[in-house]
Amino acid sequence: MVTYIVRRLITAVLILLGASFVVYILTAASGDPLQEYRGSNLPNVADLIKARTQLLDLDTPAPLRYFKWLAGAGGCLIPFAGSCDLGKNLAGQPVTAALGQAMTQTLGLVTAAIILAVLVGVFLGIITALRQYSALDYGVTFMAFLFFSLPIFWVAVLLKEYGAIDFNNFLRDPQIPLLTALTIGLVVAVLAWIISGGAVKRRAVSAAAAFVVVTAVLLYLSVTNWFRSPGLGPVVILIAGAAIAFGVTLLSAGLKNRKALYSALITVGLGIIAYYSVQGLLDQATPLMIVLLAIATVLVGAAVGYFMGGYDRGQNMRAGGITAFLIGVLIVADKYMQNWPDYFNNGRVRGRPIATIGAATPNLNGDYWVSGLDAFTHLILPTVALVLISLASYTRFTRSSMLEIMNMDYIRTARAKGLSERTVVMRHAFRNALIPIATVVAFDIGGLIGGAVITETVFAIPGMGVLFFDGISHVDPNPVMGVFIVTAITAMVFNLIADLVYSALDPRVRVKS
Amino acid sequence: MRLGRISKALGVAAVAALALSACAGNSGGTSSSSAAAAKSGGTATVVEVNAFNTFNSNTADGNTDINSKVAYPTHSSFYYIDNKLNVVHNDKFGKFEKISDNPLTVKYTINDGVKWSDGAPVDASDMILQWAVASGYYNDADATGKKGTSYFSYAGDTTGLGLTSFPEIGDNNRSITIKYSKPFADWEIALDMSAAIPAHVLAQKAGLKDSQAFIDLLKGLPKGDPKAPKPANAQLKKMADFFNTGFDTKTLPSDPSLYLSDGPYIVKSMTPDQSLTMVRNKDYNWGPTPSLDEITVRYIGDSAAQVQALKNGEADIVSPQASSDTVEQLKAIQGVTVDQGNQLAYDHLDLNFSGPLKDLNVRQAFMKTVPRQDIVDKIIKKLDPNAKPLDSQIFVPQQASYADSVKSNGSADYQSVDIDGAKKLLNGATPTIKIMYNKDNPNRVDAFSLIRESATKAGFKIVDGGLGKSDWGKALGDGSYDATIFGWINPGVGVSGIPQIFKTGNGSNFNKFSDPAADQLMDKLIQTTDKTQQNDLEKQIDQKIWASGYGLPLFQSVNVDAYSDRITGVKLMPNQTGVWWNFWEWAAK
Repeated sequence: MVTYIVRRLITAVLILLGASFVVYILTAASGDPLQEYRGSNLPNVADLIKARTQLLDLDTPAPLRYFKWLAGAGGCLIPFAGSCDLGKNLAGQPVTAALGQAMTQTLGLVTAAIILAVLVGVFLGIITALRQYSALDYGVTFMAFLFFSLPIFWVAVLLKEYGAIDFNNFLRDPQIPLLTALTIGLVVAVLAWIISGGAVKRRAVSAAAAFVVVTAVLLYLSVTNWFRSPGLGPVVILIAGAAIAFGVTLLSAGLKNRKALYSALITVGLGIIAYYSVQGLLDQATPLMIVLLAIATVLVGAAVGYFMGGYDRGQNMRAGGITAFLIGVLIVADKYMQNWPDYFNNGRVRGRPIATIGAATPNLNGDYWVSGLDAFTHLILPTVALVLISLASYTRFTRSSMLEIMNMDYIRTARAKGLSERTVVMRHAFRNALIPIATVVAFDIGGLIGGAVITETVFAIPGMGVLFFDGISHVDPNPVMGVFIVTAITAMVFNLIADLVYSALDPRVRVKS
Repeated sequence: MRLGRISKALGVAAVAALALSACAGNSGGTSSSSAAAAKSGGTATVVEVNAFNTFNSNTADGNTDINSKVAYPTHSSFYYIDNKLNVVHNDKFGKFEKISDNPLTVKYTINDGVKWSDGAPVDASDMILQWAVASGYYNDADATGKKGTSYFSYAGDTTGLGLTSFPEIGDNNRSITIKYSKPFADWEIALDMSAAIPAHVLAQKAGLKDSQAFIDLLKGLPKGDPKAPKPANAQLKKMADFFNTGFDTKTLPSDPSLYLSDGPYIVKSMTPDQSLTMVRNKDYNWGPTPSLDEITVRYIGDSAAQVQALKNGEADIVSPQASSDTVEQLKAIQGVTVDQGNQLAYDHLDLNFSGPLKDLNVRQAFMKTVPRQDIVDKIIKKLDPNAKPLDSQIFVPQQASYADSVKSNGSADYQSVDIDGAKKLLNGATPTIKIMYNKDNPNRVDAFSLIRESATKAGFKIVDGGLGKSDWGKALGDGSYDATIFGWINPGVGVSGIPQIFKTGNGSNFNKFSDPAADQLMDKLIQTTDKTQQNDLEKQIDQKIWASGYGLPLFQSVNVDAYSDRITGVKLMPNQTGVWWNFWEWAAK
C-alpha cells in the first residue's frame, strides 16, 4: 500500500513537471504580451514596452523562462520558509496572493454546488433506476440532458433575468393572483402524477392532493404576506419533523423497528422544546456556536436512540441522530427566515435581495444571520446554474450503476431470502452502486477547484476561473501557471484518493504494491 | 419507554445548551446592527471593469484605469479636465501661473489649509515628490537598463518636466517654481497632483525624519545622467522602492497613512476583486463639494452582467463596452438613462508612402474610393445614431477647434465616394494594394470589406492582409503591406503627442509620412506655450497631412454610459476618466 502511494506520488511529480512545461510554453506562445502597446500613439510607449518586458522577463526565451519560474515555484515545497514565488501578474501583484484570494472565492462557490449536485443527482439516479422506463425516468433523463447541453452563459443570464430581477420585482408586492396559484398547482399535480407511479387511482389521488395543497399553501402565503416576512413556526416544524422522523426511520431502520421510530419521534419532540429554548441564544449566533450546536444536536439524537435500548441500538441512534440533525436544520432555517425582513429592509439591499453579481453586498455589516442571508442570496443563482449542468452526469452514472447492481445475482438472493425491499435497495444495492460514483465525484472535485470560468465571469465572482482567463487573455503565464498548479495537484490528489477509496469500498479491488 | 432515560437525555441536552450560551457572539441582537446600516443619505454604486490594486496609480504597473479613477476623487489638484476637454483651474486648492516665457517659468502655490486626511498640510514637499516622479530627474539608467538606476516608476511621459531643474521652494513651503530649459507646450498639464503620493509618508517609510528631510535629501542630489551612471543613492532607492510597490494592496491597509486623501472622498473599505467604498473626507473644503455621502465601486468584467446588475438595482452607473446588444438591452430597461457619444479612440486608414502608393495621385485616388459615410452607417450608427465620420487628423469634435479646422483642412474633398475622380487620377493603372488590419476585430473586418468593395470599382486590386489579434501589431511599419486600418487615441488635451505620429522618423509614424514643412510646424508647436497659437499651428499641420494623401480618419469609437433614475448629474466624458470626471455633480434623488 505505502509503496503504491509513493509510486503514484513520484509519477505525479513527473507528470506535473511535464505538464507545467507544456502549459507554460503554450501560454507564452498564445499571443503577444505587448499587444496593447503595438500601434499605440502614447509618447512614452517605448518606456512602457521596456517596463512590461522587464516585468515579464520577455528578453528570456519562454523555455528558459520556464526554468526560472520553476526555481521560484520550487521554493513552495519548503514549508514555512516563505520562499514560495510563483511570479507576479501584470499588475505587479504576487501570484501566490492572488491565488489565495481566488481559491477562497471558488471554494465558496463550488462547495455548495457540488454537494447539492451529488445529493440530487444520486437521488434522481436511484429513483429513475427503480422506475426504469417510466414517465418519470424519461422525464428526468430528458431534463438532465437538456440542462447538460444548455450553454451555461445563457442559463446564467436567464436565471438572473427571472430568478433575480423578476423575483425581486415580485417581492415588491408579493401577491400571487388566484389564476397563477391554480396554474402552479396544476403543474405540481402533473408532476405528482408522473412521480407517484403505480395504479391510476393512486396517481389521481396524489395528483389531486398535490393540487389542493399547493394551491392552498400558495394562496395562504400570498394572503399572509409570507414572502416579505417568512418563517416556519413551531407548527410547521412539528409537522415536518414528524414526516422527517417517519422518512428517516423508513430509510435507515424500517418502520417495523418501533424503537427506532420512537427515538426519532422523541427527538422531534425535543426539537420543538429546543425551538423555544434556543431562540435567545441563536440571536447572538456565531459560526462556531452553530457548529457546536449541530454536534450537540446529533449527539442528543443519538443519545435518545441509545437510551431507547432494544436489540439494535445502532439503528435507533442513527435514526435519532439524523432526525435531530434535520430538525436542527429546520430550526436554523426558521431563524434565517425570521431575520429576512431585517435583511430585506436593509438600506444596502434596497428591497432587492436576490443578487446577480459578486459574493456579498458591499458594506452590509450585518450579524451572523443577515450576512448568512446575504451570502445565500448571492450564491443561490450561480449555485443553481452549476448544479443544473453537473446534474446530468451524476444522475446517469447512478442510474446505470444502480440498474447493473439490481440485476446482480446477490440481489436476487437477498430477495429470495425474504428481505424487505427497503433492505434490498438501501443496504444491498445502493451501497454497492455508490462505488463507481465515488470515483466520478473525486474527479469532479478536482475539476471544479480549477474554477468555473464562465459562471464566475457572468456572476462577477473573482475566482480561479477568472484568474486563469485574465492570464490567458493578457498572455501572462504566471497566473495561468498558478491556477494550473493548484488544479493539477488537486486533480492528482483526488485521483489517488478515488483509487484508494475504491479499494476500501470494494474489497474485491486491491491496490497492487 | 422508560421515563428515566428520557429525562437523562433531556438533562444532557439542557447542559449542552447552557454550555453553548457561553460561546455566543456579543453583537447584541439583530435589530440594532442592521438598523445601523440603514440609508444615510445619498449613495451611488458605479461599475468598473477592472479591479483596484494600488493606491499609487503613477507607476507603470499601477497606472490602470481603475486605480486612476479611484485616485481622482481621493485627491485634489490644480486643475481638472472637463468633458469639452478644457483645462479647468481649481483656485480653491491652489493656483499656478506662468510667470515668465523666457525661460518658461511656472509657479505653483497650494492654499493654506489644504491638508491630507492625517492632518499634515499638502505642501511643497508633495509637489517636489510629484515633480521628481514625473520628471525622471534622478534616473540615470542607460537604454539597456543594465547600468545606472531608475528610481521612481512612472507611467506618464517625462519629456516635459524632464526639461526642468530642481524647483525653487517658497512662500513658507507652500509654493514651488519650476524653470524649463526650453519652452514646453504642455506646461499647463505637466505637474498633475491628482494622484500625488504624500511626501511625508514616503519619507517616514524610508526612515527619514520628516518632509523637510525629504526635501533636503532631494535637493542635495545631482541630476541623473544616463551617459555617466553613478552608484544608486541608498535612501532615494529605498524611497523609490516603497513608492513603486509599497502602496499595492487589494485590501484596506491597516496603516491609514497608505491611503491618505486630500480630495473630497476617502476610501473606507475594500473587498478584494469585488468592491471598494469611498466616503466623504470630512476636512475637505478646497474644491467642488460633492453631494453624495458615499460612492461604491463594483468590478464587473462582463458587459451583459453590468447591464443586468443595473437592471436589478445593484449598480447605479455603468459604462459597458459599447456593442449594439448592450445598447439595445440598456435602452429596454425602465428608469435608466442611456448616453451615447464619442471616445477619444478612433479608427483610421493609413497609406504607406512607399510601394504602389508611393505616388500622391494613387494615394489620393485610393482615398477617394473610401466609403467613410457607409462605414459609419454600417458599423457605428447602430450604437450611436448621431455618429459622423471623423474629419480631422488632429482634432476631435469635442474640441472647439475641430469645426474650424475641418472647414479648411481639405477633408471636404473626401466626403463622398468619387469613383470617377479616382479613375481619372489612376489614369488606367490598376495598382495592387495589400491592406493589413486586425481580423479578430469585427469592426475592422467590416471597414476592410467596405473599402475593398468600393476601391475595386475604381480599378484597385485589393489583397486581404488581415492578421490575427496578436500578430497585426507586430507587423505595423514592417513594409509587408501597403495600407492599414487600426486605432489611435487622441490625447484630448495637450499637443506633445502629435509629433509621435506625424513627425519624420518618429516611433509611431508607421507609414513613413514625411513633410519637412509639417516637421517644422511640429517643432514649433511643441515649444509654443500659448493656446491660441497652438491651435493655429495644429490647424496648419492638419491641412498639410490631408494634402499629403496620408490616409483617412474613419470614425471615433462609441462611448456608452447608463445610469438609473436614482442618480442625477452623470455626464459623458470622452477621455479615460470616464463618468468620474464630474463625480461631485452626482446626486441621489
